[in-house]
Amino acid sequence: MTMISFYRRSLTLLSAIALIFATMMPATLAEAQSSVRPPDNAVNQGLTAPLGAQSDADIWRQLKHGGGDGAAAIPGDIPMVPGRPQSLIDTFLEEIRGGESGITSDSGQARVMQVLGEEWRLFRRDVILPYAGWILVAVVALIALFGLLRGKIKIRDGRSGTYIPRFSMAHRIAHWFLAVSFILMAISGLIILLGRPVLAPLIGKEANAVLTSAMLQGHNLFGPVFILSLVIMIIRFMKGNFFQRADLKWILKGGGLLGGHASSNHYNFGEKTWYWVVVIVGLLMSATGLLLLFPWLTEVLAWHQLSTVLHAGGAILMISFALGHAYVGSIGMEGSLDSMLRGEVDENWAREHHDLWYEEVTGKPAGHDADGASPEAAATEGSA
Amino acid sequence: MTFLEFTEGPMFYVAAAVFATAALWRVIGIIRIGKKPDLAPARGSAAAGFIKGNLRHFVPRGLFAQRTWMHLLGGYGFHIGLFVLFFFAAPHIAFIEKFTGLSWPALPRWGFIIAAEIAFAGLIVLWVRRFSDPVMRLISDWDDHIGSWLTFLVMLTGCLALQEAHDSLRAIHMLFVNIWLIYFPFSRLMHGFTFFLSRGATGANYGRKGMNP
Repeated sequence: MTMISFYRRSLTLLSAIALIFATMMPATLAEAQSSVRPPDNAVNQGLTAPLGAQSDADIWRQLKHGGGDGAAAIPGDIPMVPGRPQSLIDTFLEEIRGGESGITSDSGQARVMQVLGEEWRLFRRDVILPYAGWILVAVVALIALFGLLRGKIKIRDGRSGTYIPRFSMAHRIAHWFLAVSFILMAISGLIILLGRPVLAPLIGKEANAVLTSAMLQGHNLFGPVFILSLVIMIIRFMKGNFFQRADLKWILKGGGLLGGHASSNHYNFGEKTWYWVVVIVGLLMSATGLLLLFPWLTEVLAWHQLSTVLHAGGAILMISFALGHAYVGSIGMEGSLDSMLRGEVDENWAREHHDLWYEEVTGKPAGHDADGASPEAAATEGSA
Repeated sequence: MTFLEFTEGPMFYVAAAVFATAALWRVIGIIRIGKKPDLAPARGSAAAGFIKGNLRHFVPRGLFAQRTWMHLLGGYGFHIGLFVLFFFAAPHIAFIEKFTGLSWPALPRWGFIIAAEIAFAGLIVLWVRRFSDPVMRLISDWDDHIGSWLTFLVMLTGCLALQEAHDSLRAIHMLFVNIWLIYFPFSRLMHGFTFFLSRGATGANYGRKGMNP
């Protein structure tokens, strides 16, 4: 056995011991988080070190980017910054990162030290956080621009004063129950996600810490309420939300924006799409949220990391859709809010936006043959 | 004096005094109104009717249960959840013990969380019904909405302070508790104390006439 081989084996042994300690850390941290009040000496014990000035994350970041002399890149790892002096610790890290075949970590990679956590952290910091914020800004700007250019979509023939029942009391309660719990979840979730980069510079780190702590409790508490309201909504609104032949025509006519009248049933294609987005993304959010709330459901780290990514991505998607839905369903279109406040809609609104449903419930023809090609007809299509 | 010390100290004493005095004043006032003497011979027991009236109102009659099942679930969920939250949450028991010396076993954390979930779900359903139902919307005024929102904010701020890691969150919760206590006796929140009187009065009236309430 050469001296180099001896040192390599010693390093491997040391890293294995370090790994054992590392795997014990989550249990300790989980206990600390689950207690009502952390012990007073928690900071000294390093339990809350990640939030400290020179935290674990900072140390690892410094180690990762602080050295490297062009050593061979490790597959799946972030390349180290070249041209900086490589310290002894860098050499040590390189050794355990490279590892030996047959020695594996929980990630299943053929190395003792897995970099999955670092990759996920960087992905979250560099991709999710900035894009999430800017996507929402863009959505709000687009809606505002549409509102400015298009204005409020009026009922073409004005209000008739005759109303048709559209949603029962149970439908409306299911809708608003989900809406209220979703708003609470969205606000608390956005503060948790974007508090540090967006709010902390404005209100200070201390205030942001208090706010984030509060929002985390609220988010965890309202999560099950959201799931309950989601399930009620899915069941209550399923009837009529399956795609039909009329929806294809609706798409081909761009919902009426490309000219001609786009017929629709009780729900148009846009509403049905929104329903299925809520169903699929909502259930995905619920599943990933439960996994984050009860991390002991799986011991595979990658599932937790994937959950945070999907949870954030799904949230941005749902909030974006919800903003559009809320706009068209309230100030964007005359008469559409009646359906969820009063449970009934104006006859002219129904005839204009949901003609097939109108004909079905009233037995009267909607009479869109004559006005199909008019520019006004095209401009007033669409519904919440 | 910190903000927390203020909300748990002088402000709480004033709020609790206003709550107790005004609530008692109103209940005594209602009882003192009395009723006109009934000259007809009694055909049944007014006292039994009082009790029956109270108990029977806990169960909806006939078709009402089918038509208002969501309201029923929301109502029971909210009130029972709130009752459990108030009397069996460990921080509440500790707070009451500080002033009275009285203590009793607290719910485990998971029990507290479930009670809070049920109470929140119930309160949201009740509030949604208030503005979605045309009749409810018509008979609701600012007092109803303020009462609902204040109760929601008290519960919300309490749950946001669950981690007990920041004094400011506890102080905000106490601030809303104090406002709620002061508002309570002068609003329809008083139904928490008066519901048994109104149900009982109706029950006693029917009971004396020998009818089941």
